[in-house]
Amino acid sequence: MALSTTPPLTRKGPRPSTTGGRGPGGSGPRGRGPKGRGRRSLAPLWMLSPAGIVILAVTVAPIVYLVFTSFTDYGQRSLYTGAYDSVGLAQYIALVTDPAFWWSLIRTVLFTAAMVGGSILVGTGVSHLLTRLGGPLRTVVTVVLVFAWAMPNVASSEVWKWLFQPGYGVVNWLLTQTHLFGDMTNTSWANSPFLAYLEIWLLIVWQAVPFIALTLYAAETQVPTELKEAARLDGAGEWYVYRVITLTFLKPTLLLVTILSVIWDFNVFNQIWLISQGGPDDATSTLGVYSFTTAFVGFEIGKGAAISVVTTLLLLVITAFYIRNLVRSGEDL
Amino acid sequence: MTTTAPTGLGPTAPEGPAEKRAVVEAETRDALARPKRRRRSRWIPNTLAVVFSVIWIFPVYWMVNTAFKPRPEVMTTTPMFVPAHPTIQNFVVAITQSSFLTNLVNSAVVVVGAVVLSIALGLFASAALSRFQFRGRRLILVFVLVVQMLPSTALLIPLFLLFNTAGLLDSYGGLILAYVGSVLPFSIWVMRGFFIAIPLEVEEAAKLDGASTWQVLTKVLFPLVMPGIIATSVFAFIAAWNDYLVAYVFMKDQSHYTLPLWLASFSTPTTGTDFGGQMAASVLFSLPVVVFFMIIQRNLVTGMSAGAVKG
Amino acid sequence: MRYTKIASVGALGLAAVIALSACSSGGTTAAASGGVQTVPTTKGDGKTLTVWVMTGDYTDKTIAAINKEFTAKTGAKVNVQTQQWANITTKISTALATSTPPDVLDLGNTQVASYAANGALLDLTPYKKDLAQGQTWLGGLEQPATIDKKLYALPGFAGARAVIYNKAMWAKAGITAAPTTFDELTADLDKVKAANTASDFSPFYMPGQFWYAGMQFVWDAGGQIATADGTKWSAGFGSAKAQQGLADFKDFQNTYSTAASQTLDTDAPQQEQIFADGKTSAILDNNWGLGLIQKANPNLATDDIGSFPMPGKSGSTQPTMLGGSDWGIAAKSKNTDLALEWAKIAGSPSIQAKWVYGTDGWIPNSTEGIKAADATVDSFQKGFFQAALNSKATPATGDWASLEGDKSINQLFSAVASGSKTPKEAAATFDSAANTALNAAN
Repeated sequence: MALSTTPPLTRKGPRPSTTGGRGPGGSGPRGRGPKGRGRRSLAPLWMLSPAGIVILAVTVAPIVYLVFTSFTDYGQRSLYTGAYDSVGLAQYIALVTDPAFWWSLIRTVLFTAAMVGGSILVGTGVSHLLTRLGGPLRTVVTVVLVFAWAMPNVASSEVWKWLFQPGYGVVNWLLTQTHLFGDMTNTSWANSPFLAYLEIWLLIVWQAVPFIALTLYAAETQVPTELKEAARLDGAGEWYVYRVITLTFLKPTLLLVTILSVIWDFNVFNQIWLISQGGPDDATSTLGVYSFTTAFVGFEIGKGAAISVVTTLLLLVITAFYIRNLVRSGEDL
Repeated sequence: MTTTAPTGLGPTAPEGPAEKRAVVEAETRDALARPKRRRRSRWIPNTLAVVFSVIWIFPVYWMVNTAFKPRPEVMTTTPMFVPAHPTIQNFVVAITQSSFLTNLVNSAVVVVGAVVLSIALGLFASAALSRFQFRGRRLILVFVLVVQMLPSTALLIPLFLLFNTAGLLDSYGGLILAYVGSVLPFSIWVMRGFFIAIPLEVEEAAKLDGASTWQVLTKVLFPLVMPGIIATSVFAFIAAWNDYLVAYVFMKDQSHYTLPLWLASFSTPTTGTDFGGQMAASVLFSLPVVVFFMIIQRNLVTGMSAGAVKG
Repeated sequence: MRYTKIASVGALGLAAVIALSACSSGGTTAAASGGVQTVPTTKGDGKTLTVWVMTGDYTDKTIAAINKEFTAKTGAKVNVQTQQWANITTKISTALATSTPPDVLDLGNTQVASYAANGALLDLTPYKKDLAQGQTWLGGLEQPATIDKKLYALPGFAGARAVIYNKAMWAKAGITAAPTTFDELTADLDKVKAANTASDFSPFYMPGQFWYAGMQFVWDAGGQIATADGTKWSAGFGSAKAQQGLADFKDFQNTYSTAASQTLDTDAPQQEQIFADGKTSAILDNNWGLGLIQKANPNLATDDIGSFPMPGKSGSTQPTMLGGSDWGIAAKSKNTDLALEWAKIAGSPSIQAKWVYGTDGWIPNSTEGIKAADATVDSFQKGFFQAALNSKATPATGDWASLEGDKSINQLFSAVASGSKTPKEAAATFDSAANTALNAAN
């Protein structure tokens, strides 16, 4: 598309670079070093520093501190007395030898896959549905999507608990009326591993679909109509048109929302904590819950830090391919 | 790399036209292509749309429905799909709780502070990152993503200990900083995508007219990255409005509490969960966000996707 | 390498050291005379004491009465902050770590040990005699606040669980007097069951995760959660007695509660709501359950609702988990003298009698208080006071809180009630987790 031509242009910047077309790896020495004369070379500095200072203070410093505490036995006592010991890699060793961690990791990966898969599938479907709707109905669906999207997750989790409340929950009642699953009036969703997952999965998918659907829809409206019409004139079926033309155009957006969903769902905490608190018997204890309970219920802060570090590294590995692409494209800019 | 903007909306072309274009295209399609078949095939998408809307709106409907019920109608074994005796009692109780107004004011202060600061800091930083050549740009990009990957609660204790040392606990400033810090990296990333898309000619033309760097930024470039600014305002708004844990841990004095803490107070072991009151509070709490989203919805979508894809 | 930044304990350091060497017997006998101190009288004009109270504990009126007496005595003001229960351990743990923590805190008696054991609270041992003011504190409140024979918090009030039953429903089934033995109880419940045939009706609603109820059966059979040998804890659900108790609980739960309740907890759905809806004729609850029931169903008259202590198979009433709170003082408090004064007033016989018991309906913090209250207690409250006379507490170690926090104890009883595990299997799972958790510090 047209925008792919912008990188070479933007590359020049207000301070024209002498190395316009150079590829990866060259950015270092070219920095704002030698030729920096006058206010122009200082501009990026003063523009960056306010944000830089804030990020350094409230993001980088805590991350450094987090990594540091993961090498100590920082615990509840340390909070009050300030005393802790350096334990080297002990927290990490304890972690990888703890079956609870591995179970938690497996749960997290599977559950993330289920949530991302569900959200993307429904989201893609709804996005395509939107393109096939007339004006009024499209507005209705959009408004519905925005409602689900905008609900703060503290509120939606409370609503969920009420919908699935044993004895009084409307979902329990509705399911009982279908006569498909027997009497579910008193079913306690949060107390059965499968049902607890299902309840949380429904909540996550419910809130994730709007962003995915609306983003993909925005992209889908940009697919050139001429191509589709041409294919149709050639006798291609609707499914073929969608698969070959539309999906090809959607690919970058689809990749983006998938990666973002993976990152967000991998660390889902609020909804799980509010609905099942990781129970029953740790069945819904994903890494996010595991690190929270370790750090905030057991107050093993050092171990909790180690879990967070490992979680982040795992996510980095999972998304490495995407990030590499991204960095490469960043170099082209 | 040829990354593609999903919407193709250059910052020079705001949302309206694109939307119109889509509509026009749809109409053209309707007019051109096999009118008969199209009319018939509309049945399937229309039915699907109705089914989907009913399912997706149901939780919202049930929240509102419950909020307007008197207690005996809330706790019934056979649910009542419309309140028999609608009442605003639940809302009155929720609002007249002594802390509501204080918490609302605190939330407003924190939200405005976080939004303004995020935009101000983010704009300049992202402009610098996209318009100037300098060392460590890629590192910053990777860092932005790493921050996104940290578990949401991971930085709570380190930040708490640092703020304790710095004397920033129990203050609006500290809370605002915490929120700004959590949204800034991602915001910069998104806004940067928009800066990159602005053709250099635009600012060169301004320079030829004698504009200073400052003028180029504020008069020419910033207006063009509006979708990115809107996306940032949403991130900051949500971070500050929805957060429970950071406010709960950082604010010791209850006169500094924000609204999510008020929302949490509707369920206590000794008074039981008052579902009517809780749903009424949830409605009130969600309302500003829903209204906000309704207004900026289209910008938000393009802001996030266009900005981020161009990464 | 050891990093330490231990702040000076200030003026109290010496006293604390002396008290450390003194060997208190653990009861209410004060520490050896060398370490005994009285709460210093201080003037606090212009100062403000920050007190954190938990919602639903002392009422505002009672707090106001304490503050009035406190201000009259010291001239200092009081800033009262009422805290919610959700995530309270996170809130308190972090607040106590700040340089300006709240001075006095209302701490649940199952949580106080973890703060005490980790150095968050001021050692009150030297002042114990003065703070007790001649009373014998209830064991269930004092023991969890006592770590290594040192006292870290002052008993505030107690609550015990008793059976709340629907008198009208029982009368319809032909029962006029409250049961006093376990056999009478089961016979009565059988009658109620026969008189009410609705499919969702249970004579005695007892959700499976209700571990406080389950523990009553275990304690009644002579079992223990865990016992300490020196500093080493060993979990006790595997013992024959505890196994008997678990079997008794399963038996009772399966016979008199609904099948659906086997995996539930008391809060979802709320057992008071079930009672108010007439779906059960009895629940085991705290005395504040009455208020919840009447809020859910205002048509239930107070006269129609009665209480009695849960009778045990052993012949006496079942031991009940004594709930309640202690007043702790932050180790980093800058107003320790004022804080001591405030806590002393809160625990004083007059406040306890007139306000904590008289206004709030709580069980006062001492055996003397209970005896004095006995003469005036109304018939509904009486069941709870009687139940409190045979009470137990959770293991007095800072590591208990994590077992309660991760709900493993709920899962133990739920698994037994639903039959997803045999009592033996469930006990083995819990005991091994408990042995690790309770000895984490060793």
